[in-house]
Amino acid sequence: MNTTDQLVLMANQIARNLAIHGDDTATAETAAHIKAFWDPYMLRQIAPMLAAGGNGLSPVARAALERLCIA
Amino acid sequence: MIFQPQTDHGTPASTAAEMVTVFIDGRSMRVPAGTSVMRAASENGTSIPKLCATDSLESFGSCRLCLVEIDGVRGTPASCTTPVAEGMVVHTQTPHLQILRKGVMELYISDHPLDCLTCPANGDCELQDQAGAVGLREVRYGAGETHLGQAKDTSNPYFDFDPSKCIACSRCVRACDEVQGTFALTIAGRGFESKVSAGLASEDFFGSECVSCGACVQACPTATLVEKAVVEIGTPERAVVTTCAYCGVGCTFRAEMRGEQLVRMVPWKDGKANHGHSCVKGRFAWGYATHRERITKPMIRAHIDQPWREVSWDEALAHTVAEFARIGAKYGKHALGGITSSRCTNEETFLVQKLVRAGFGNNNVDTCARVCHSPTGYGLKTTFGTSAGTQDFDSVMAADVILVIGANPTDGHPVFASRIKKRLRQGAKLIVIDPRRIDLVRMPHIEAAQHLPLRPGTNVAVLTAMAHVIVTEGLADEEFVRARCDWDEFADWAAFVADPKRSPEATEMLTRVPAADLRAAARLFATGGNGAIYYGLGVTEHSQGSSTVMAIANLAMATGNIGRPGVGVNPLRGQNNVQGACDMGSFPHELSGYRHISDAGARSLFEADWGVRLDPEPGLRIPNMLDAAVDGVFKGLYVQGEDILQSDPNTRHVAAGLAAMECVVVHDLFLNETANYAHVFLPGSTFLEKNGTFTNAERRIQPVRKVMTPLSGLEDWQVTQGLANAMGLDWHYTHPGEIMDEIARLTPSFAGVSFARLDAAGSLQWPVDAAHPDGSPIMHIDGFVRGRGKFVITDYVPTDEKTGPRFPLLLTTGRILSQYNVGAQTRRTENSRWHSEDLLEIHPIDAEDRGLKNHDWARLVSRSGETALRITITDRVAPGVVYTTFHHPATQANVITTEFSDWATNCPEYKVTAVQVTPSNGPSDWQQRYQAQSDRARRVDPVPAE
Amino acid sequence: MKARVSDDALALACGADAVAAALAAAGVAVDRVSSWGMHWLEPLVEIDGNGWGPVTPADVPALVAGLLAEKAIGRIEDNPFITRQARLTFARAGRTRPLSLDDYAATGGWNGLAAARALEASATTETVVQSGLRGRGGAGFPAGIKWQTVAAAPGARKYIVCNADEGDSGTFADRMVMEGDPYLLIEGMAIAGLAVGASKGFVYIRSEYPHAIAKLQAAVALSADIVAPFDIEVRVGAGAYVCGEETSLLNSLEGKRGEVRAKPPLPAHKGLFGQPTVINNVLTLAAVPFILAHGAKAYADFGMGRSRGTIPVQLAGNIRHGGLFETAFGITLGELVNDIGGGSESGRQVRAVQVGGPLGAYFPPALFDTPFDYEAFAAADGLIGHGGIVVFDDSVDMARQARFAMAFCAIESCGKCTPCRLGSTRGVETLDRINAGDNRAANLALVEALCDTMKFGSLCALGGFTPYPVLSAIRHFGEDFQSPARERAA
Repeated sequence: MNTTDQLVLMANQIARNLAIHGDDTATAETAAHIKAFWDPYMLRQIAPMLAAGGNGLSPVARAALERLCIA
Repeated sequence: MIFQPQTDHGTPASTAAEMVTVFIDGRSMRVPAGTSVMRAASENGTSIPKLCATDSLESFGSCRLCLVEIDGVRGTPASCTTPVAEGMVVHTQTPHLQILRKGVMELYISDHPLDCLTCPANGDCELQDQAGAVGLREVRYGAGETHLGQAKDTSNPYFDFDPSKCIACSRCVRACDEVQGTFALTIAGRGFESKVSAGLASEDFFGSECVSCGACVQACPTATLVEKAVVEIGTPERAVVTTCAYCGVGCTFRAEMRGEQLVRMVPWKDGKANHGHSCVKGRFAWGYATHRERITKPMIRAHIDQPWREVSWDEALAHTVAEFARIGAKYGKHALGGITSSRCTNEETFLVQKLVRAGFGNNNVDTCARVCHSPTGYGLKTTFGTSAGTQDFDSVMAADVILVIGANPTDGHPVFASRIKKRLRQGAKLIVIDPRRIDLVRMPHIEAAQHLPLRPGTNVAVLTAMAHVIVTEGLADEEFVRARCDWDEFADWAAFVADPKRSPEATEMLTRVPAADLRAAARLFATGGNGAIYYGLGVTEHSQGSSTVMAIANLAMATGNIGRPGVGVNPLRGQNNVQGACDMGSFPHELSGYRHISDAGARSLFEADWGVRLDPEPGLRIPNMLDAAVDGVFKGLYVQGEDILQSDPNTRHVAAGLAAMECVVVHDLFLNETANYAHVFLPGSTFLEKNGTFTNAERRIQPVRKVMTPLSGLEDWQVTQGLANAMGLDWHYTHPGEIMDEIARLTPSFAGVSFARLDAAGSLQWPVDAAHPDGSPIMHIDGFVRGRGKFVITDYVPTDEKTGPRFPLLLTTGRILSQYNVGAQTRRTENSRWHSEDLLEIHPIDAEDRGLKNHDWARLVSRSGETALRITITDRVAPGVVYTTFHHPATQANVITTEFSDWATNCPEYKVTAVQVTPSNGPSDWQQRYQAQSDRARRVDPVPAE
Repeated sequence: MKARVSDDALALACGADAVAAALAAAGVAVDRVSSWGMHWLEPLVEIDGNGWGPVTPADVPALVAGLLAEKAIGRIEDNPFITRQARLTFARAGRTRPLSLDDYAATGGWNGLAAARALEASATTETVVQSGLRGRGGAGFPAGIKWQTVAAAPGARKYIVCNADEGDSGTFADRMVMEGDPYLLIEGMAIAGLAVGASKGFVYIRSEYPHAIAKLQAAVALSADIVAPFDIEVRVGAGAYVCGEETSLLNSLEGKRGEVRAKPPLPAHKGLFGQPTVINNVLTLAAVPFILAHGAKAYADFGMGRSRGTIPVQLAGNIRHGGLFETAFGITLGELVNDIGGGSESGRQVRAVQVGGPLGAYFPPALFDTPFDYEAFAAADGLIGHGGIVVFDDSVDMARQARFAMAFCAIESCGKCTPCRLGSTRGVETLDRINAGDNRAANLALVEALCDTMKFGSLCALGGFTPYPVLSAIRHFGEDFQSPARERAA
C-alpha cells in the first residue's frame, strides 16, 4: 500500500467514524480533525489524487479534504 | 555506614479520625482510635520487641514477644493485637515481661542455627536484633528436636528459601495473601511440624503458584527468604529512593547499594503508588542494567551493511550533526524527525522534543505512546478536557464496582492489580470485558460478577449496549449530568444509545456477548455504588480506540462516576512514563501540557523562552514518518529509547521505512532491532544511572535518582544536550532539575513542580498550580477541566480487518507478567525462565480442526506476513480467537499485525488481526533470514590497537 | 411388655444393640431412648420404670422371665444417682426417644422458643443475663453479656455457632445432648438467633461423634419448619483438638486452616466470615430453653457465688459409678468422686483427679473439699473447664502425666504461637530428662520457667493451660519427679 492509498484509507476512516453526525457536520469535523492532526506534507501528498477526482475517497472525506486543500 | 532498614511500626496505621489518649510507660500520647498499642508506642519512640508484626500486614499475634501489661487487664496481652483505648495505661517493660520475652526468645533460639557470622542476614536480621533487645544470654534447653539441616529451596532465580532458618511467623504467607493476593504460600503441618510451604509438598517455589513478587522476601524477618544477590554480595550499605522503570504503576524502590553495586531493589513503604509492594520485574529484574550486551561506547557506520565502529562521544555527536545538516541541506528540514520514549525521564523527553522543534525546526516528533495510549489522550481531552486518568490508585479502595476492560492488570500492572484484588476481597464487585478469560476473572477469593468475552473489535458496540441498558432502564444519574455536563449533548447521546438497534439483544450476534450478561453488568455498574473503570490497550489499540475511550467516558458521566474517590476513568499505562512523555509535548501536534501547536499564545511562550520560531503546523506521526521515508522525503531520525522495529506494527513496512533513511540514530541501552538499520548508535543510560522524573498512570510525578555512574559516561539528557550544542543551540543545563524548572515555567499544569518540592513531598500529582498547590489526586471534583463534561456519540464502525476463508481467526495480543514490552530488559534477566518464548493461545476446537497438539509449532499468517511459534491449547480464548505476546524478537509478532489503526490517532490496531494458523515444522524462513541478518547487523569492529 | 434401651453411643459401645435385638427376638417391643447417664449400668433395660443393668444378650431370657434379680436396680428414677441430681438440661435423659418430636413436645419442648418469640429480643438477652448462665465450654464467660454484645454489634449478617467439638478427656455431656435430646440444642440455638438477630446457625461437631452427627442432622431436618426462619447447618470437624478453641473453630468453619485467631477482635464483633457471632458450647445453648421457659430466677436459684445454675459433671476414668451427674454448683470434689462416684473402679486408693480435661489441674485428695465453682477452682490453681472429672488411683505416675500434658499440647498445637509450638516440644524433652534423672533440679526449674512462658505467653488456652496439669503434678505430687521413672516403676 503506497502513501496515497494509506492517506485515503485514513481520511475515509475519519469520515466514517464521524458520519453519524450527518454529512454537513461530518464534513466539518473531518476537516477540522485532519487540520489538527495531519502534517501539511500529508495534505500535499493527497492533493494530486484529489485534484484528479479523488477516486476512492468517500463523499464526506473528499469534501473535507477539498476544503483543506483549497483553503 | 551501617545498613538501616525502613522504620517498621509493626501494624498498619489506623485511618480513624477519632483520637484517644494513652499512657505508655508514663508518657501520654494521642493517637487515632484503632491504633495498636505497639504502633502507638513505636510512633512515640518506644519499640516493643516483635517478630511476627510488620506494618505492611494486619496484626497476627503469634510471636508473643510484644506482650505488655495494661492496668486493669488480666494477663499479658500482645501489643500488636490490642488496640489503644481512651485512658489506657500500658507498661512495656516490667520484670515479668522481661522474663517472658527471654523465655519466648530462648525457645526461638533453641530451634535456630547459630551461624550468624556466616548468615546472609547478618546485620539485617530481626531475630538477631530482638535476641539482643530482650537480653537473651543463654539457651538452657539441651539437645532436642529441631528444624535445622533441611535442604534449601534455591529454585527461584532471585531468592532462596532456607527452612532451617524459619521461625514460622507466617509473615511470608500473610504477605502473599494480604499484600500480593496470590495465596501461593501456606503453613503446612501443625504444632512443631508447622512449616512454610509453596503449595503441595512436592512443589518447590519455582514450580508453585508463586509469582515472585518478592513480598514474602520483603516480609521475612530472618534469612529464610533472602535475595540471592544478598547471599552473594552481602548487606547493602546505603539506600537511594528511586522510581521503577517498568510499567506505568510507578513503584518507588529503595535501591540498596554497596559501593557502585546494586544489591537489591526493595519497595519503598512510603511510595504512594505501591505502598511497599513490588512485582517480579521491578523487584528483581534489574540485571539488564549491567548486562554484558550493554553498549557503552558510541558507534557509527556509513552503511547498515557495515560493522559498527566505536568512536568517542565528540566524534559521534559531530558525525550525527553533520549528517543531519547534510540531509537538511539536501532534502529540506522536514526530512528530519525524532521519537521520544515513554521509558525515559520527563526531562529527557522534553529535551528531545525541544531538539526537534527548536533544533530541527519542524514538529516531526512523536512518541511510543502513539502505539499505546494516544487514543486516551484524544478521548479524555475531548470529553473531560484533560488527557489523563481521573483518579489516584488509592481511589480503588473506595470503589464498589470495578469495571476492567481491555486490561490484564495481574500481568501488566501487577502491583496495582494487588490493590484491586484486595478491594475485591473486601467485597467490591468486578466486571471484566475482555475476549480472553484473564486471571482476574477467577482467582483465589475473587470471582468476577460478570465476564463479557466479547469478539475482538466490538468494544464500542458493547459499551454502547451497556449505555443502552442504563438509559432505557432509567439508571442514568440525571442529577449529576444536569449539574456537570452539557444536557443537550447528553440528550442527543441518550437518544442515540436508546435506539433499539443498539440494545444488547440486537448486538449480541455481533459482539457475541450474551445479552442477559451484558444487561446484568450494566445494571450492576449503574446501581452498585461507586463505579470505577480501569482500561488498557485492549481499549486503545483498535480502529475505534479513541471512540472506545470516549464511550467509557460517556458511561462514567452518565452514571455520575466522576469527581470523587472510588470512581473515575483510569487508563492503565503500559510503560513507566507514558503519561509523562505525552505531558511533555511529544506528540507532533502538541506542546507540553497538551496545547495545540496552532495555539499562537502557547507557541509564543515557547518561542520567547527558546528564542526560536516554531512551526505552527503539526508534524508527522511515526507511521507517517515511515510512509514519508518510503516515499523518499524523510531521511533522518533520532530515536531515543524505543525499538520501533519490534514494537510497531507491520514490521516489514517499518523495516522498509528505516532502510530508506540515510541517518538513523538509535540512542539505547542495547543494539535493539531498530539498530539493525541505524547508522549511529548512542549508548543510553539506565534509570539507575540518571536523575530525573517519571510520571505514572495516576499523573504522579516521581523522582528518579542516580545510584551509579552511567556506563557510557553520560546521562541521556546530556547526550541530547550534546547534540543540541553540536548543532549550535545554546543549551547549558547542568542538572535535570533545571530542565524541570523550564517545564514548569512553560507548562501551566506543572507550574508548581520543582525537584526541591518533589524531594520534600516524595511525589506530586499534576496539575500542580495555584489552585492545586499540593497537586491533584483526583480530578474534575467540582467541575470538568473543559467546563461541562461532553457526551460524544460513538457510533460503532466495524474494523476493515475482517476474517474470511483465508484468514478465519482473529489474533489479539497482550503481555505476560514476567516479561515487559519488547523484552529488551526482561529477556536479559532470569525472568525468561518463566516465559522463554511467545506462545500462541488457541481454543481446543480450533486446534483440533487444524490437527494441532499442545506445544506443536504452528504457522501464523496474516495478509501482512507470517511467523511461526508454538501453541498452547486453552479455553481462555473463545473459539475463533487466538492470542499471543510480543516479548520475543524471534517471534516477531508484529510481522503479522497490519497497518490498520485508530481513526483519530493512528494508534495501531494490534488487538485485531485476521489470521490463519496451520501446522509447521519450526521457525519460518523469514524468521531464520531475519536472525541471520540481525546477527550481521550487530557486528562491531574490534578496536584497533594503539 | 415394652422395653426401653438407650441408643446412646456409650450404650451402643457396651452392646445395647445386641441386647435390643435379643429383646426383640424374645418378642419384646423395644423403644430406643436416650441414656440416663449411669454408665456402669449400660446397657440398661427399662421395663415399666424399673431397670436392669448392665444387661447382656444372654441375660435376656431371664430378664423376660422376670428372673434377673441380681441386675435389677428397681425404679430408675428413684436411683440415688438420679435423685441426687438437679436435672434441668438433662431433664429428658433416659425418658424420651431422641428424634421423637411428639416426645419432645410432650415434655415441655419448644416452650422456651415460644417464650422467646413472645418477647422483645432484648428481653430474651436480659433473661439470659439474669439467669447467671456462664459459658459451659470452660471459659465461663456470661452468656447473656456475649449475646448482648452480638445483638449490639453492627453487621450485615450475624451467626450462631455451636461448639460441639467436645475433645476433653472424660467429657461426653455435649454428645449426650446431641444424641439424646437434639431438639433441645436446636431450640437453644433458635432462641439465641432470635435474641441477637441471627438467622443462620452452625453446629461444629467433631468427626469422632458419628452418632451425634447423624442424630443432629436428622433432628435439624425434622425440626426445620418449627425453628424457621432460623436455619441450622451441621458441619463436621477433622480431628483437631484445637478446633474446639472458638477462633480456630471459626477458621475451620470458614474452610481455613484450623489456626487460632488473636483476640481482639472478639468473635462477638468479628466472628464467622467477619460477622458478629455468638459462639457457645452445646451445654450453654442447651441450658437456654429451660431459662426461657421457666424464667431466669428458676435457673439462678441453683448454684453458688457467681456460678449460677447447674453444671453437668462428667465422671470418668478410674471411677466405679461413672456417668453424667447434673448438679447445682457448690458440690465438693470429694462428694463427686467418693460419695457419688463411689471411689475408684479398681478399688485402690484414689490418688489424683484431673478436672477440666487434658489441660486441667490434678487435684490430690487433700483438695477434695474444693467446691465445684469457677472461682473456687481458679483459687486452687485449677479450672472446671467443661466439667469433666478423670479419676486416677495410686498406681498413677504423675511425672508421666505431666509429660503427657506437654506431649498432648505438642500434638494438638496449631503451631501459630511460639510458646505452644516450640514450648510443648521442649517441655516433653525436658520432662524426659527429669524422668531420666538428668540434672533434675535445673530441669525442674526450667520446666517451671517454661510453664510461666506458656501460661502468660500463649495465644490461646491450649498452650496457656498446659501448665496446669504440669505444675499441679509437680506441686502436689513432687515425689514422682524426684527419682527416675524406672526406679519408681520398680
